[in-house]
Amino acid sequence: MVNDFMKDEKVHEIYTSIVELETEIMKKWKIQTLVTAFKNNGISTDNGTEKVPYIYTFPHNFLEKNNLIKMNCVDLDKFNLTYNQDTMTIEGTPEVKLDDFFTIEFLVDGEEASEIKHQKQVKLLINPDPKSLWKDIPSDTNALFWKEDDKSEATKIGEKSIVVSSKRGRSHKNVGSFRDDDYAFKYFEDSEWTIVAVSDGAGSAKFSRKGSEIACSETIKCFENVAIKELELFEEEFNQFIDLKEGKQLEQAKETAIKAIYKVAVHAHTEIEKIASETALESPKAFDKTKILNKADYFHATLIFIAFKKINNKYVFLSFGVGDCPIGIINKDRTEAKLLNWLDIGKYGGGTRFITNREIFSSKERPIVSRFNVYITEDFSFLFLMTDGIYDAKFIVEANLEKTEKWLEFIADLEGRNEDNVTLDFSRDLNQLEENLNNWMDFWSKGNHDDRTLAIIF
Amino acid sequence: MRRLPVYFLLDTSGSMFGEPIVSLNNALSGMINTLRADAQASETLWISIITFNREVKEILPLTDLQSFQLPEITCPQSGPTFTGKALEFLCKNVKNDIKVGTPEQKGDWKPLLFLFTDGKPSDIQKYNEFIPKVKKLNFAVIVGCAAGNTADVSKLKRLTDDVIRLETTDSNTLKQFFSWVSETIEHGNKSIGTTDKIQLPPPPSEDIIVI
Repeated sequence: MVNDFMKDEKVHEIYTSIVELETEIMKKWKIQTLVTAFKNNGISTDNGTEKVPYIYTFPHNFLEKNNLIKMNCVDLDKFNLTYNQDTMTIEGTPEVKLDDFFTIEFLVDGEEASEIKHQKQVKLLINPDPKSLWKDIPSDTNALFWKEDDKSEATKIGEKSIVVSSKRGRSHKNVGSFRDDDYAFKYFEDSEWTIVAVSDGAGSAKFSRKGSEIACSETIKCFENVAIKELELFEEEFNQFIDLKEGKQLEQAKETAIKAIYKVAVHAHTEIEKIASETALESPKAFDKTKILNKADYFHATLIFIAFKKINNKYVFLSFGVGDCPIGIINKDRTEAKLLNWLDIGKYGGGTRFITNREIFSSKERPIVSRFNVYITEDFSFLFLMTDGIYDAKFIVEANLEKTEKWLEFIADLEGRNEDNVTLDFSRDLNQLEENLNNWMDFWSKGNHDDRTLAIIF
Repeated sequence: MRRLPVYFLLDTSGSMFGEPIVSLNNALSGMINTLRADAQASETLWISIITFNREVKEILPLTDLQSFQLPEITCPQSGPTFTGKALEFLCKNVKNDIKVGTPEQKGDWKPLLFLFTDGKPSDIQKYNEFIPKVKKLNFAVIVGCAAGNTADVSKLKRLTDDVIRLETTDSNTLKQFFSWVSETIEHGNKSIGTTDKIQLPPPPSEDIIVI
């Protein structure tokens, strides 16, 4: 009966068309499924950065994996990018877009090329150029302990010269805060001693700008008023050593020297404490951090200083350091560099020690005496004192400060091997040198935007 | 370059379903955009997002802000809040992620932790067990955020002294909270000595209370 029924021409025709419709519906359904699957597939391309050439190529099996026969990325021009269909690459130099999408037009398996295209929105993120984000907000000149944003000097000191520059970092300009770094130096014509001090105020301490200033200026003051006199004995002992070449005498001389400059370090510490308590009496409201009990903690600052003099045709260096600022010296023929202090570097960023920490004078793990150094050499080409604003960017890690080649690279950088084509010519005019150092100090280094202070004795 | 690692532990338990999770997504996205425009954060910030409900999920491993892409955060319609399990997961991650300073390696800034919850831990025993372990991880600050009136402030207080209470989980409050978070993050990379914790900025409105 069924056979007879199917033989009916009309019925057969209807049956065939049902089968055809079913096939067509299944085909459409399959297409629909593929389209939905691709639309729901979270596709992401790499983020870009404004002004930095961008290139993103879709994986080679992208079409296959997503059951596509063809795709095109349109409206990329709003990002200032283009799409190459042959290489499946998005490229160009984009503009900032934090919340925008581009469109992928596509065809899935089973579709005819002439059919209507489907669209999918894909987020593309273009970060702003980091250099363009930094603001330059002036510091408040009426604020307590305001200090000038940038400071520099260059002058002769006996047979040598010094050029030094201290600049407010981008991170401080960005929020209108103050330069926390400082320096001070003095050449004493009569005794022929030179002393140079560099200090970095803690970013988190409210009056660290003053702390670093006091640390440096009081170092100079105490060296002048107390240490120079006491170092006369050192000189005597040192000269005896030169005459007799007895190691014991050298040890004796070193001890005398350290005793003298120990007083300078203690003085810097106590002066900050003194000014902190005085300020707390005058302006109690300024000390508003309930968690901080010790007033000197508002003035946290590191301190490095070095005193030197040519005695008996030898250069003698007496140094002290607390914190993470290095003192480095390069020999006359530039073949050997030496780090003269050890750095207080914590496990985490910013974890250093300060001249304001009382514990540094009584620590058993890091005896105060280890913070002093006496170094003697025939002559030298460069002596550097710097804050971490320079060291973090140029030496990156502490271990590099022990490597001569890193110091030589640093000198090469100063002498012109740098992106900005700034050249410091140490044989030329000091004013020009100072200006060039000030320009050099503005170097760009990702993530390193602290205050920068660099003193060069040559 | 020093990285500033910031961890977000976000409660995505059933009670967050609906408007709260939408608000959370919007607020997070707003915060990320604010940070992208911050000079300091744009170069140094690394973010990790971990969500917790019945499951703990690392939505994003620690990623630098420049290549960071915020995924949509979803939550089930119901289910418990395994905060303890989330802390356990966090401990493991932080130990692997954070670079400490050595003579050969630049140490990260101390990481920050923001824990956002609208309820209380369902796995209280594990929560209590991991509190001391999290405290040992040397976070520069741990901010506990109790959102809405069902959030248990006292449990958060066991984890940190810095607890913020949000009156509601509506979009405006969450937006303000995360804008305050971005401000806190911007404070995160300053030299703070070996022991100090960072100071929190004042809260932005009366809907956000520092407890």
